[in-house]
Amino acid sequence: MSLKVNRRKFLKMLGWGGAGTALAGCDMPTTVTLEEGKEEVVSYLMPEEYVIPGIGVWYASTCTACEAGCGLHGRVREGRVLKVEGNPSSPINNGNTCLMGQAAVQGHYNPDRVTSPMMRKGGSLQNVSWEEALAELNKRIGADSGLKADKFGYVTGTISGHQSVLVDELMEQVASKNHFVHETVNTTVWNAVARDMLGDETPKYNMAKAGVILSFGADFMGTWGSPVHNMGEYAKFRKREIRGVLVQVEPKMTLTGGSADLWVAAAPGTEGALALGIANFIIDRGWNTVDVPAEVRSSLKQYSLEAVEKLTGVPATKIKRIASLLSERGPSLVLAGASTTNIENGYDSAASVMLLNLIMGNVGETIEASYKFPEKSLRPKQGNTKDLLLLAKALRDKKLDVLVTYNVNPVFTAPDALQIREGLAGVGFKVAITSFPDETSLLADLILPANSGMEEWGTHVPAYQPEDSLLSFQQPLMEVIHKESKAFGDIMLSMLKMRSSDFNKFADYYGYLQTAMMNMPGEGTAEERWNSMLQTGLLKASGSQTALTPRLVDIKYDVEKGSDDYPMHLLPSPRLGMWDGRHANIPWLQEAPDQIAKVVWGSWAEMHPKKAAELGVKNGDYVKITSASGSIETQVYLHKGMHPDAIAVPLGQGHEEYGRYAKDRGVNPMKILDPLMEKRTGELASFATRVKVTNAHKFNLLIKMGGSESQAGRKLVRTISSDVLRRTEGEV
Amino acid sequence: MSQVIQDKIIDEKLEWSRINSDVIASMQAPRKAYWITFAVCVSMLACAIAAEMYQYKMGLGAAALNNPHMWDMYIATFVFWIGMSHAGTLLSAILHIIHAQWRKPIYRFAEAMTTFSLMTAGFFPMIHLGRVWNLYWVLPYVSDRGIWPNFRSPLVWDAFAISTYLSASALFLFIGLIPDMAILRDHTTGWRKKLYGILCLGWRGDDRQWRNFRRTYMLMACFLIPLAISVHSIVSSDFAMSIMPGWHITTFPPYFVAGALYSGCAAIMTLFVCLRYFFRMEAYMTTNIMEKTCKLTFAIAMVWSYLNLVEFAATWYGHNLYDKELLLQKAYGPYAPIFWAMLFCGSVVPFALCFQKLRRHMPSVFVLSIVLQLGMYLERWMIVAPTLSLAHQPHQWDILWGSVIQWAIVFGSFGWFGILFLIFVKVFPCVSMYEVKELCFHLKHEIEEEELEKKHAQQKAGVRQQSGGTVPSGSAGLEGA
Amino acid sequence: MSLKNVLENFSYFRQDAESGGTHKYEHRFGMAIDLDICTGCNSCSTACYAENNLPVVGKERFEKGQAMHWMRIERYWDEQEFEGDFAEQGAKFMPMLCQQCGAATCEPVCPVAATYHTPDGLNAQVYNRCIGSRFCSNNCPFRVRYFNFWSYYEDSWPEPLNMQLNPDLSVRDKGVMEKCTFCIQRIRVAKDTTQREERPLKDGEFLTACAQACPTNAIVFGDTMDPDSNVSKLWMKHQVQRGPFTHKKEKANEELRGYRVFEELNVDPSIMYLERVRDTEV
Repeated sequence: MSLKVNRRKFLKMLGWGGAGTALAGCDMPTTVTLEEGKEEVVSYLMPEEYVIPGIGVWYASTCTACEAGCGLHGRVREGRVLKVEGNPSSPINNGNTCLMGQAAVQGHYNPDRVTSPMMRKGGSLQNVSWEEALAELNKRIGADSGLKADKFGYVTGTISGHQSVLVDELMEQVASKNHFVHETVNTTVWNAVARDMLGDETPKYNMAKAGVILSFGADFMGTWGSPVHNMGEYAKFRKREIRGVLVQVEPKMTLTGGSADLWVAAAPGTEGALALGIANFIIDRGWNTVDVPAEVRSSLKQYSLEAVEKLTGVPATKIKRIASLLSERGPSLVLAGASTTNIENGYDSAASVMLLNLIMGNVGETIEASYKFPEKSLRPKQGNTKDLLLLAKALRDKKLDVLVTYNVNPVFTAPDALQIREGLAGVGFKVAITSFPDETSLLADLILPANSGMEEWGTHVPAYQPEDSLLSFQQPLMEVIHKESKAFGDIMLSMLKMRSSDFNKFADYYGYLQTAMMNMPGEGTAEERWNSMLQTGLLKASGSQTALTPRLVDIKYDVEKGSDDYPMHLLPSPRLGMWDGRHANIPWLQEAPDQIAKVVWGSWAEMHPKKAAELGVKNGDYVKITSASGSIETQVYLHKGMHPDAIAVPLGQGHEEYGRYAKDRGVNPMKILDPLMEKRTGELASFATRVKVTNAHKFNLLIKMGGSESQAGRKLVRTISSDVLRRTEGEV
Repeated sequence: MSQVIQDKIIDEKLEWSRINSDVIASMQAPRKAYWITFAVCVSMLACAIAAEMYQYKMGLGAAALNNPHMWDMYIATFVFWIGMSHAGTLLSAILHIIHAQWRKPIYRFAEAMTTFSLMTAGFFPMIHLGRVWNLYWVLPYVSDRGIWPNFRSPLVWDAFAISTYLSASALFLFIGLIPDMAILRDHTTGWRKKLYGILCLGWRGDDRQWRNFRRTYMLMACFLIPLAISVHSIVSSDFAMSIMPGWHITTFPPYFVAGALYSGCAAIMTLFVCLRYFFRMEAYMTTNIMEKTCKLTFAIAMVWSYLNLVEFAATWYGHNLYDKELLLQKAYGPYAPIFWAMLFCGSVVPFALCFQKLRRHMPSVFVLSIVLQLGMYLERWMIVAPTLSLAHQPHQWDILWGSVIQWAIVFGSFGWFGILFLIFVKVFPCVSMYEVKELCFHLKHEIEEEELEKKHAQQKAGVRQQSGGTVPSGSAGLEGA
Repeated sequence: MSLKNVLENFSYFRQDAESGGTHKYEHRFGMAIDLDICTGCNSCSTACYAENNLPVVGKERFEKGQAMHWMRIERYWDEQEFEGDFAEQGAKFMPMLCQQCGAATCEPVCPVAATYHTPDGLNAQVYNRCIGSRFCSNNCPFRVRYFNFWSYYEDSWPEPLNMQLNPDLSVRDKGVMEKCTFCIQRIRVAKDTTQREERPLKDGEFLTACAQACPTNAIVFGDTMDPDSNVSKLWMKHQVQRGPFTHKKEKANEELRGYRVFEELNVDPSIMYLERVRDTEV
């Protein structure tokens, strides 16, 4: 492919690169690689402005691999972005990146991107010109289309900043309320509990300050909140004067569980009871720092050690240990994640967990008020699965005539039982704004190729704002690779222009954004602010801080009973790397082994060796996992970081489409989930599905990294006790 | 039968003309079996060439090598062939120096085996290189960039050792052939006469030539013995110079040399039986000689077994975590079947050679020799593979069993060796004619002396006569009838 | 190194690593990796892929063990926990990369001297010189050398993925050994800059890709010859020294966390690991 970069224009767009971070020039390099003469040679004598052949220049931008909004620096050389690093001035990631951020360049340069608008003609998708595509779109959603307000639906993932504003504008223009914000990997239930019990959906969880973190399935290093930020905080937490202690309660060892001092497997779905048991014990001993009302006391009485031990399978001694840790090694921080919250009574489980924070007086201590971005319209709309259920319902009821999807893939991420695919067939006109030919997009009537995150302008307001509130700025790191792809903002503007002439004054999204940003209040001239934003990639705004107002909610906790037909719990566990499956098309991430199982390029199911022995399976054997809604077959990997009653199938694989690296690889556990709902929030209870596991009597070598699972006496990774650490390094 | 008659290496009454005609007959008119064998060997080689071409084009991934298994069957086979080359030297040089007469009818093909197995072995280090086209970088040629090979690397020593040994053993083979070439020159016509005329270097068989010949031969023998020992010691240092468990072993040089002699002797036994059967050489390759070969093999087998025990004991009592673990893994891990098969074939099976009946029964000897060679091949593989599989870093532990490409090349190497050997036996005498004649001559004398002695003893008890004949060093008649 | 030079300075050249070796160092780059805060997230490994043009080998070749990850996160399960029902202390993670040994075992065995010691304290691998005998990998106790078994470039970067390739270093063809270089291209740029600006190299002026990406900053990279660098301070704090193996008991405080992997082999690794800590009270 030929890359024709008009560098003058490109740089005009880019503005000033981060001068302080740019690698300073060195002697004239002696090599410039040319790929068989396909690339334009950059003249040594007369290079374009700001292009020094052989020298990388760093530009600030924002990572779009997940919703955390980490700041990036992209290294641009001869007009190509080669590598990204963390932006050190971003308080979210402090200069670090996770593997998804590192691999984002492969999303950008992915060979399977959509390169041209496509329209369904006579049943098949065919390349069309933008004019034709937009004309068709105008016919469907334009001012004269006769589109009825509630017949228009828009599906996005978590969206914030000016992109969100544009979507809002469009919804307003159409007068539709059907904006579905869908994310499979989310903390919605926990956020709802935080809102109800603390008065803030996303308070700051100050891990660095905590002496002990008790996490109920919150994979905060992997898929919970803002992973890179959390990992940085975790490092500080470990390096405290008295090393912090991490206790992780979950049915499947997550990345976070892998680093736990104590990893506890409670029976799946009983984590809430364990939390209540711990609370009861603490109150019983009078270790609570905050007074607890008598009725709560009495309602907790039923969670005696014996009862909880019986219910959860966690030995009473261990419960006592955890309770005393919370009181002795405080301040503590108690969190809950997917395996605790994404069940039918997830809200109550999460509330039981939050109760611990309340009685241990963590509110105001390790849970702090967070800053909210002052401009409300730019704040993020956080994705959830409730909207997925609503979308499914709307589709089922044939309520939608026109549906626009932007970088979401509900056909892949929704359980088959929700019948999204069938529902989409009933939608008159489906528009997919997407970079990749995924399952959902290929069902669309019109595909509009979107730019990659490294080709477009944008603003992002992260949901989790650890420091002062900030807006993370996304600027293109290079000229578009595929000439036909367009920025999301530009596509939105064209759609808006179809509905209203107000937007005609903006030539493109860049102009819109610049106007909007320069109009934002702040110090210095608008020009200076704009330039500083381009340089730093950030806009810090002194946001408002909402005070935390801890209060108890009514917890109606009872453990769900499973049926005998389906005795096991299916855990569709997300992981850092594949996330919800959106990164399955990135070869580096396919080849990056799963952190715990170390499996690559495929699916597997994690099981406890004990359970496997009952089934008579060993590593690499196939098992058939059957739920009431369907069945999948995959290989097992056995380890002792599992509860024997649970089987975990990581998310991410099982794509039917989505490019050469993702297609026909592994299985998708979401497919066989029962359409269960979390009772209080309406979220999809993704960890609530019960399954039956049978030996499929088939074997294949499990493709994983590493030979021996044990160190064979080598002492490669040596472990010492924290007592020793305290003697040598702690309490200086 | 008296003891003398029974121990007789060869029938001393063999006519010299018959020796000539028998050997020349063996070189002429290949029979159907010869051509079939030849065709099989060629097709085996073709397999290897096809496999190597594929591997050359695709890279070594085609051989299914992987991170811990950077070497595998190629290197094991290399060591195997190098080992095989030692028997010829043992028979022709060592036994020559210690005047073991029985070597004479069989040393020629053993020497040929030496040369050809070296020629086979030499291919393997090349085949296993990632960038074989840069092979010559291993040699210290003068380069204007002043780049030299790394003289600390055992692989460079290998290159020197093998090339030296190959040229020396080929030279030794050639020198030993000279008197026979003269005989052949006188008894053949056509291209053969021309060829042998050139190769005999104007041999007339006069005293001076014989004297010089014997001196040269002895000199080469003396030169070759330390060379042979050093070659395999250097091959062993490919392993022993590393720090890997199972390789970094002080006894490796003698262990390799013993193993080499062992497998070489076994190979001689195999070829002995084949030649005896196919070329009707019963008169020359007698069961008595086979018995001696078997006894020698048994002795070497015991040395090898002892060195094995030394290695195991040193590992066991050395208490090095990695070494000990590896030994246990060999004995009980995935390699256990091969490990025990190796010990069975190498240390238990040779005890069958204790039985005279088996030693004198050619089909049994044939089977035994094949089993011994199999054991020795397994030994080489057990040296190379387990260390790679199960070294220090447990994360990289992996078990690998050959691959089609590797097997094809290893298989083909036998074809290549077979082709060379088959051509050799039809172009050159596989039995040393002049030395057999010499042997008959000596034997006749000895027997005469003995009979004389007996007679004397019977007739005049107490009267003894000095026995032992002198070597008829100027006897030009040895070469003709 | 001419023969004359060797003969004249024989006693110098025969000095082994234990008596100081014969290298004249400008820098000795090294690392300190804290296993207590390493979460095993794989970010370093992916960053390495991005920086060093590491090919993606695909499922089939990964299965064969021909993957090319210069930096790999090894995960071990605690042996003691095999007794219990659950892995109660989590997993054990170990980022394993070339240890850039001071007395590297890979160096003497290379027949063509394609791997050698640089004045920066690195084991450099000269791709152009390598003939692929693979002895270096066989002699590496850490097994961190990776061989180009195939022409991986042929299908690792289908267009336009190839546009991401870092032009600062080559893409390797079949038959060549490769391994972690401590991002030598970054070292080169930094050294050129300091040379031109006539100043010493500052600590943290550049980092390796893995150290830069690490979300917990568990990897500290720097010059161990510079006593003021972070990495030197850590080495000193944990009483780990360059040079031959010093037994833990020989340390003034043997409870300190620093150790080098397979130190008893006397290869003088440049990477110090800090022991993982687990709370005994839980």
